[in-house]
Amino acid sequence: MTTATTQATQPSLDDATLVARARDGDVRAYEELVRRYQGPMFRLALRMLASKGDAEDIVQEVFLTAWRRLGQLQQDAAFVGWLYRTTTNRCLNALRARRPMADVDLDMTETPRSDARPDQAAEVSAQMSALIDALGQLTPQQRACWLLREVHGRSYEEIAEAVDSSVTAVRGRIARARAQLAEVMQPWR
Amino acid sequence: MAVETSYDLPCGRSLEQLWDHIDAADEHERACPHCSTARHSLRALREATDELAADRVQPRIDLTERIMSAVRAEIRGRGEMLPLDAGDTLQVSEQAVAVVLRFAADEIEGVRARRCRVRAVGVEDGQTVLHAELTVATTYRDDLAELLATVRDRVMAACAASVGVRLARLDLRLADFYDR
Repeated sequence: MTTATTQATQPSLDDATLVARARDGDVRAYEELVRRYQGPMFRLALRMLASKGDAEDIVQEVFLTAWRRLGQLQQDAAFVGWLYRTTTNRCLNALRARRPMADVDLDMTETPRSDARPDQAAEVSAQMSALIDALGQLTPQQRACWLLREVHGRSYEEIAEAVDSSVTAVRGRIARARAQLAEVMQPWR
Repeated sequence: MAVETSYDLPCGRSLEQLWDHIDAADEHERACPHCSTARHSLRALREATDELAADRVQPRIDLTERIMSAVRAEIRGRGEMLPLDAGDTLQVSEQAVAVVLRFAADEIEGVRARRCRVRAVGVEDGQTVLHAELTVATTYRDDLAELLATVRDRVMAACAASVGVRLARLDLRLADFYDR
């Protein structure tokens, strides 16, 4: 019996198998899924919110909700897409709650302060640090679309679903985000 | 906030065009000062983006444990309790039996058990009779029928040997193939 449970934690098992087992109530299979995907979800939330603590809270909520809703998941292979969608949504909601005025000027958008990311102080290059600051200048929607596409490699269709929008609108937001970010990346300015 | 829809440079090229073939700039793009400036920025952005994508900043070390204890706190039902004898004095959970059956299938090379449902269908000669439904994924192979027959034999045998009840019927479903 011990061997049976060890088996479930083998990292070589594919996601769909782990999801199917977790759906049957196999906690160890679910733990493996958490270990596999908490990192990407945390990094998405961290770059969206520029706060480690808030990002961790969101990751915890996302995985608890996912466990509760496993039974409703139509396809085992849809799990990861669902994680990205839920994490994105929760981040956008958290940002809305932070800034009650929905469409404030870009100038008023909160810039992530460097003291909010103590972990990066040492190792991050000036270039990446400039990019992280510039991300804070984008609208939350632009930031979500850009991060999902350029950092997490999700498809336009998936991103459109995650931010409840059309593929055309997502492409437009990413193009705008890229133009804005590229402008900040000019070293001689 | 004004929504700009196009990012044309003074020379008429768009930023999107530049981005699309940033590694294969044409003659104009190499000569034009506007294009050249924009290409430098896009390149710097791409480098920083690669760095961001490769970044592996981790959440607090006990996050998994925090998540899992919340999960365990509201653990789903362990499934039905199945009677082991006619007198109903011995019971085993559906989940416990499912673990045994899944493990028997997992032990066969090229087979991964996925979902498993078990129910008691009656009592024969004082012994509980079970029906089970097991979903598996296998590697691609040309002896599938033989493989599934092995799965069936092993799972039936495991149920008798480890749980001590007869598995009268096993519905085996091949749900997926996986790469080795």
